[in-house]
Amino acid sequence: MRSLLVSFSRILFSFLNPHGSLKLSPASKVHQLTLVKQRSSSTELPMPTDLVNYWQGVFEAQGVPEARASSEYIVSYVLEAKTFQSLRADHLSKPVTVQQLFRVQELSAQRLNRMPIQYIIGEWDFLDLTLMMRPPVFIPRPETELLVALVIEEFQRKMKPRGAEHRDLAAAEASQYPMILEVGCGSGAISLSLLKKFPKSHIVAVDKEEAAVSLTRDNAIRLRLQDRITILQHDILANHSFLLHHNPVDIIVSNPPYIFKDDIASLAPEILSYEDPTALDGGEDGMQIITGILSNTPHFLKLYGDVFLEVDPRHPEMVAEWLRIHPDLHLCVIATHKDFCGKPRFLHLQKG
Amino acid sequence: MSLFRNTLRVTGWLCTTFTQPIRIVPSFVLDVGTAADRTSRRPCSASFLPRLGDAFQQQPLQSFLSRLEEAGPRLGGGGGSRLRLHELLLLVQRMRAREREVRELDGLMQTGESLEVDDESEDLRKLAEDEKVSCQEEIIKLKEQILSLLIPPNEADDSDLILELTAGVGGQEAMLFTAEMFTMYEQYAAYRNWNFEILEYFPSELGGLRRAAASIGGCEAYKNLKYEGGVHRVQRVPKTEKQGRIHTSTMTVAILPQPSEINLIINPKDLRIETKRASGAGGQHVNTTDSAVRITHIPTGVVSECQQERSQLRNREKALQILRAKMYSIKLEEETSRRENTRKIQIGSKGRSEKIRTYNFPQDRITDHRIGRSLHGIDLFMYGEELLHEMIQCLKECADYESLIESLSENAD
Repeated sequence: MRSLLVSFSRILFSFLNPHGSLKLSPASKVHQLTLVKQRSSSTELPMPTDLVNYWQGVFEAQGVPEARASSEYIVSYVLEAKTFQSLRADHLSKPVTVQQLFRVQELSAQRLNRMPIQYIIGEWDFLDLTLMMRPPVFIPRPETELLVALVIEEFQRKMKPRGAEHRDLAAAEASQYPMILEVGCGSGAISLSLLKKFPKSHIVAVDKEEAAVSLTRDNAIRLRLQDRITILQHDILANHSFLLHHNPVDIIVSNPPYIFKDDIASLAPEILSYEDPTALDGGEDGMQIITGILSNTPHFLKLYGDVFLEVDPRHPEMVAEWLRIHPDLHLCVIATHKDFCGKPRFLHLQKG
Repeated sequence: MSLFRNTLRVTGWLCTTFTQPIRIVPSFVLDVGTAADRTSRRPCSASFLPRLGDAFQQQPLQSFLSRLEEAGPRLGGGGGSRLRLHELLLLVQRMRAREREVRELDGLMQTGESLEVDDESEDLRKLAEDEKVSCQEEIIKLKEQILSLLIPPNEADDSDLILELTAGVGGQEAMLFTAEMFTMYEQYAAYRNWNFEILEYFPSELGGLRRAAASIGGCEAYKNLKYEGGVHRVQRVPKTEKQGRIHTSTMTVAILPQPSEINLIINPKDLRIETKRASGAGGQHVNTTDSAVRITHIPTGVVSECQQERSQLRNREKALQILRAKMYSIKLEEETSRRENTRKIQIGSKGRSEKIRTYNFPQDRITDHRIGRSLHGIDLFMYGEELLHEMIQCLKECADYESLIESLSENAD
């Protein structure tokens, strides 16, 4: 047991001279020494809570944002739980093993390099799904959960039988319905959530980047949804001829890159250094891909089909304006929905 | 006759282990047995409150029923009566008829015994026996129906519920006890085939539990668990105690019924939802991992939080569940009439601060103070299966009995 303690302190002190260019402030050194001192009177490895507190201190000293949450997620992950909250009381009263200690240190080193937690642990939750995460594929944001909820709500509302006007609904119900196109699928969060919710739906998911296509495919297989999704590497702004092989869809859904070009530089290091910039950059006014999608609705979208988009809060007005000068698309904004912070975030358009 | 009684006894237990929800046979079927039988076999006999099963042999039910029968033909329109007196009268008359039949059959069988035994009379005896058994079964059903008419149903009885446990007085020991209680209820939910979903879980450093909440759903979940609300007290030598002294610690259980969509309508505009993404542009601009959600109902100030999940929307749903349960609880309290204050078995916030049960480890005894009932075998009790179930059934019947008495005294005309 004594040798374990020695190894523990060795781990901590080896950390003071990492192979990276990381410099630890004096504050964190004090933290480390405090932890070792606490433990030197006993021959125990630290308890999970002590470990979380320790790394929280290290992250805070290094200016890593969300120090507590980061620390909790890393330790929980190593202890095979999703959140620290879900760790049961009996697990919390047992000290960690040496392997776990090492593993937490490994992962925390990555966090000190500002890698996003989702990439560090290689997974994240989106609604009811647990998805694999791999850099540089875009990490789903909480707002997008609301986008999916909106699509589901709208579709369920439509599905309520209302008599003659839904004659073709009955016909469509027999086959694949709804047909959905997702532009910029990333990790597959939106597509796979919708597939799960609508057992008869079929989705064509496209993304410009091979890495995203590959990750979406892996997630689809892991969730056993690969039979109802077609994943294509395709740039929506480029030639779209091969997409015409598919029938027009009922719904187009997208969380397209919508950040204004000038805002990119001020993004956090977590995003700038690790996530694919093409998944974020929407051009001069953040509208480039949005307008690209809307321009393609004559080819891809059925009459009375819906378009659901997540956008920057400044976009709803800009989109309305843009639609006014493109009347040939026959698109109109049915509704603008707010996110949890009260910002206009989601657009629901219809072709008609 | 004894075979019949045994079957009923077995049925009572079998009900609890079937996978389908089967209505638990009320214990008053034991009316059929002798008094000696009752006390020897059934350990759960309250000393302060009579059991529901005894009600038919006692006041005020006896006099109520006889007055009802006397009034019989003179019963008025009955439109305004809460008790559906006509229906009740019919049931009572049918029950009396069956009871008469049983007595006649008994008489027949006794006469038969005094005569010579031959094949024919043996067959007749069997017939009489079977007839008697089916009569008795019908009597039981009729008694159940009569009681269900007399005991007013509770609006929340069919709901799911939220179970909230909070450590009380006693520091780490109280928190350790709370963790054990949480496990007990979790196992009881599994035993009853109920859904058990953790909404909140705040452990302490040494393996204890500060506070936790779980959503429990299933057949008659609230109806059964509603009497668990209150202060539970533990007396034992804590793990942390070095000198072997016995400490008393407490924890509180709160049972909040979960309203259906119709039972409680909340205007979304009245809700303030707080997340960690409040500042800045949000959306693609930010990658936060803290998905905790807090919801405040602005008009009433009721707050709920959840950080159990990684998905923010899931946390919001759980927080909303907790909020709705809290608000429903307040609404029900406002509607509860004043008379229920005098009852021994309280539910809701009135009962929350009462010491309802003591778990004494050195004496291996669990005592429920409301009904003066003690059981032995704490370890088995905290396993959350038969023993806990017995205690709960006992409480249910005592509470039903109180309900019955109140209901009868209201309709004493």
